[in-house]
Amino acid sequence: MGNKNISQIAMDRIKEDRIVPISRNIFSIKRVLFWVVVATSFIVGAFIFSFVLYALFNNDWYLYDRLGLSLVFRTLPYFWILSLAIFTILGEFYYRKTLLGHRRGLVVIVSIYLVSTTLFGSIFYAIGFGDLVERSLSDVSPMYRSIVLNHREVWSHPEEGLLSGRIIFINENEIQIVDSNGYFWIINREGTLIRGNVEIEIGDRIKIIGSKVNDNLFRAEEIRPWFGRGINNRNVVIMH
Amino acid sequence: MIETESCDSKTDEELVELSLRNSDHFFCLSKRYEEKLLRYIIRISKFSREDAEDVLQEVFIKTYYNLNGFDSDLKFSSWIYRIAHNEAVSAIRKKVVRPTIYLDETDLEKFGDVFDMVKDVDNSIDRKMIDIALSNLDEKYREVLVLRFLDEKDYTEIADILKKPVSTVGNLILRGKKLFRLEYEKLIGVTV
Repeated sequence: MGNKNISQIAMDRIKEDRIVPISRNIFSIKRVLFWVVVATSFIVGAFIFSFVLYALFNNDWYLYDRLGLSLVFRTLPYFWILSLAIFTILGEFYYRKTLLGHRRGLVVIVSIYLVSTTLFGSIFYAIGFGDLVERSLSDVSPMYRSIVLNHREVWSHPEEGLLSGRIIFINENEIQIVDSNGYFWIINREGTLIRGNVEIEIGDRIKIIGSKVNDNLFRAEEIRPWFGRGINNRNVVIMH
Repeated sequence: MIETESCDSKTDEELVELSLRNSDHFFCLSKRYEEKLLRYIIRISKFSREDAEDVLQEVFIKTYYNLNGFDSDLKFSSWIYRIAHNEAVSAIRKKVVRPTIYLDETDLEKFGDVFDMVKDVDNSIDRKMIDIALSNLDEKYREVLVLRFLDEKDYTEIADILKKPVSTVGNLILRGKKLFRLEYEKLIGVTV
């Protein structure tokens, strides 16, 4: 040990420079903020997982026979999966900044986060949260469902027998729609199976399975509501 | 000024609380860690004693300034070691020197025991070899070996000081021991 008394010198400097400890509140606020971010990312993550479940359970899986594996790639809820990944990274990052957060490894933290969000997300889905938010967002923003669930893309392939659009005209044998690209289509609906809650009213959005006759004529085999799978309630076959 | 003898029976946490009420009590805390931290700073930086003392002064001042940030869920020793580690690393960067290890007689004995090394050879050569072998290790291995075998910290304390996961610390120690032994044996082989 040298001659200098380091502790004494440090004490002298503390007194001479009138150094006072930073307020406890500053540290408390910082700690609380970190936990708020962690908790928020967890809750949001759980909600997002409920949307993922909703998207998967309400996907048009009946098209699998028609589209095969491409249906999976076309309709995976990429937006929500990406959002979940972002919130997982955010949660992990700020959890590490908590007092003892550094003690656990990346794999452990991410696993705990994903298992918890899966569990709570499933509960949110079971109590109908995913459905509620999806419908609310769809009502607020007509583009939402198309973008998030890739529906517009899937249902914009008349050459593959898949078409969707908003009804602008109805008569006994025909429906006229405008598709998402702004093209007019005449839908021949003779012998068409109407699934679910399709009201066939002007302004409604529908999905149609059938075959393209020419550039503006489409023969419908099946009409479904835009929203949901359309397998509940009533199925009606229109015969003329 | 508070007599350090009157602080001997008090825990670190009690002294932190007392220091927040009366800064004079901080002298007891800094005195308690002075020697340990000075040795630690020298070990990881190979600064001269004077330079290490300057670093340590800053450590004590930062510790006092952030004293309200200490949370008793953490051991005070881990917390102050973390500050010392950060301050030493920062000083090393400023000086732009490659940190190397300095070992004294006691350190050598500790290392000899842990690694079951030859002790009947010339002590100064042995020490020099250990010193070089440690210095040749990557920083991440060197710092955990110093904390584990020279400062005798457990895995959780090392994790808290370095802010790394406990499992990572375990792996670094395991790998560091192997690498150190290889490095040491290589040096001994060269010199024989």
